[in-house]
Amino acid sequence: MDRNQIAKWLEAPAKMANKYSLHAVYFCTGCGIIEVPPVITSRWDAERFGVIPVATPRQANLFLITGYVSVKTLRAIIRTYEQMYEPKYTVGFGSCPINGGMYWDSYNTIKHLDKYIPIDGWIAGCMPRPEAIFIAVTHLWTLIDKDMANGYTRYRESYRFYRRNQEMALGKLEWPPLFATGNKSVIDERQAVRSQQ
Amino acid sequence: MSESLKQRLKSTFKDVQVAALKDNRMSVTAQGASVPAILMFLKDAGFDHLALISAVDYIEDNEFEVCYILTCYMQGQDSEGQDLHIILKTRISREGPNFQTVIGIYPNAEPYERELHELFGISFKGHPRLTPLFLERDYKIPPFRKDFDTRKYVKDTFDNIPFV
Repeated sequence: MDRNQIAKWLEAPAKMANKYSLHAVYFCTGCGIIEVPPVITSRWDAERFGVIPVATPRQANLFLITGYVSVKTLRAIIRTYEQMYEPKYTVGFGSCPINGGMYWDSYNTIKHLDKYIPIDGWIAGCMPRPEAIFIAVTHLWTLIDKDMANGYTRYRESYRFYRRNQEMALGKLEWPPLFATGNKSVIDERQAVRSQQ
Repeated sequence: MSESLKQRLKSTFKDVQVAALKDNRMSVTAQGASVPAILMFLKDAGFDHLALISAVDYIEDNEFEVCYILTCYMQGQDSEGQDLHIILKTRISREGPNFQTVIGIYPNAEPYERELHELFGISFKGHPRLTPLFLERDYKIPPFRKDFDTRKYVKDTFDNIPFV
């Protein structure tokens, strides 16, 4: 163990333990997943950084979205994200989840993934090199240290808005809301605020 | 390219144009009504693999071109002893596009025809289930047609969703 970090370990042991045990859900989306096998195997051994892929989202706390997100995949991504336990961190990998990338005018591809689930960090590029994943992981450590990787708390707080956006993209969702959304619909509430102003 | 197969095709079917695209590539253009007969003929000649059914939207001519791409599964095992790829093209009207299914000849045509039904709106008579295959949303115009404006669609749907 690094002696310099003993103070941090004593101060917030849970946070430090989280930081060094990132379990990535093995979710294959788009072309970026081709970068992941070399990352997790001996060439770029991701276990040096404490990142290891796991079989199910229920054991994972890191979600790498590796490429373009079609409307059908968005449904699977939301379901996977909601099954992960907290604290959970999401990283968009490649330019397509950021703003659509080369699929910016595609009829069936989600353009901004952060409208539907909270994202803690982005890796830009098309494709990013495997080293970029490690840069992202070390950045994520810094964010966790500073309590800035708070996507899951944002998801709790503004769940109504995320759920509304999900329903706008996918139509009616066949699973119940994860958190309480209140009785009023969000759009009604906004209109009420506007009319008061 | 196989000369004898070309001759046999021309002698068996009247309104068929056969052209050589490259070595080992042959293009056959036919009327819609004779497509099942030609496919059956080619299957008997050894072309046992339907690789793909695709469509092209010729919006100026107000027509769709449906293409059947055939190969021999066993190379050099067809009756001509050659490794040949055949593309069979036919034109159908763009208004209420309707065509006949070829599932009876090539059973693997089923997903291809479903795909064309979903993306081009071509309905295939006799197909057992023309249900959605890939798409999640409803589109007024099938999205692979030339008059489907993708940028307007993106602006109206995805860009209207606000940031959280």
